[in-house]
Amino acid sequence: MTHSSLHPAFILHSRPYSNTSLLLECFTALNGRFPVIAKGVKSKRSETAGLLRPFSPLLIDWRGKGEVKTLTCCEAAAPAIALNKKSLFCGFYINELTMRLLERQGPHARLFELYSASLHKLAGAEEIEPVLRQYERVLLSELGYGLILGQEAETGEPVDPEKHYRYDLEHGPVATTSDAKCSISGRTLLALEHDRQLSREGRREARELMRRVLAHYLGGRPIKSRELFQMQ
Amino acid sequence: MSQQPLLFRLIDALCCLPGVGPKSAQRMAFHLLERDRSGARHLAEMLVAAADNIGHCNRCRTLSEHERCHLCANPKRDESQLCVVETPAEVLAIEQAIDYRGLYFVLGGRLSPLDGIGPKEIGLDLLEQRLAEGAVKEIILATNPTVEGEATAHYIGEMAHQKAICATRIAHGVPLGGELEYVDGGTLSHAFMGRQAL
Repeated sequence: MTHSSLHPAFILHSRPYSNTSLLLECFTALNGRFPVIAKGVKSKRSETAGLLRPFSPLLIDWRGKGEVKTLTCCEAAAPAIALNKKSLFCGFYINELTMRLLERQGPHARLFELYSASLHKLAGAEEIEPVLRQYERVLLSELGYGLILGQEAETGEPVDPEKHYRYDLEHGPVATTSDAKCSISGRTLLALEHDRQLSREGRREARELMRRVLAHYLGGRPIKSRELFQMQ
Repeated sequence: MSQQPLLFRLIDALCCLPGVGPKSAQRMAFHLLERDRSGARHLAEMLVAAADNIGHCNRCRTLSEHERCHLCANPKRDESQLCVVETPAEVLAIEQAIDYRGLYFVLGGRLSPLDGIGPKEIGLDLLEQRLAEGAVKEIILATNPTVEGEATAHYIGEMAHQKAICATRIAHGVPLGGELEYVDGGTLSHAFMGRQAL
């Protein structure tokens, strides 16, 4: 097999399957998210088991016509991304969001690229919140639920950084007063749209907005990874 | 099926064991019935007794037929060290391999949000109470070197840190008798980062 036929991939989740195999959920640029069985990798002699873990850039190939494929080849593309402590929990959060929201199959090259970049940023001790907000925003837009951040819902006018808005999930920002419940400043909306730095208050507003939007698309079941942050 | 339903039901039931498929189950069933009836009766009695009477130790959550397992009940064990493991099998493995005199805490799993397993599901509220009692001076995190095991170790480490308890993590690296050339990259980098002064 030539090297070029291998596809860059990440593993989002793995669980045991029969005695020596693993059922993996892979994420690739061209084929999106799909399940793969890695046969016999849990036996003592297999060297692949150490590779097949989340947050490791891999090169893989598979075969099979059904929904569940069979892994035929797996190599490390680069050393595993060293997430620890809080960034590891963020990695779980990103994986959980991707698993829960992204439908199986279908190309997601832009999201894949951002996924990889986000993990590297988390490992590089960058501030975590902007990384998470950017990933959440792009994930939503890949799904076709992109947020309208730059213009007012009713008038279509550009958002004014000095004004305050209430975010309507279906339509977008609607002007309101600054003391209204769940209000979000125009500055925060614009910063989110252009991935710009946020103030402390802006970060809180952005986090609450995203949490509300994601809860809407996730249905009743909350994100389990959030429980990990209680200790912080 | 209609001629010997009980035999087939026995073979079916034996298939619930790990690593036992229909063929091995059939061999076991014939062996028990043709060569070792008393063994079969004894096995059946032991299975029923074990399934009815073995529960979890209310202190360390390992398998035990008493409210407190023999390790927790032993006054000679050192209360100041607490080793956290994922499964009861790992308690046995450590007991047999090394001369550890401290106590254990069995999580029965590891943090894995994607499988719906959060801090509560692995009894971390119980562990927190245990740490609050104040007897534990060192907590040894012996969870597996998977990302989930790592996350679990960090989470518990943070809990210990807040209570000013020393948290240590078991080392992972090259297996004894192994050769560097054949060790995978991840393990090798762990081994390298965890090097010690001679």
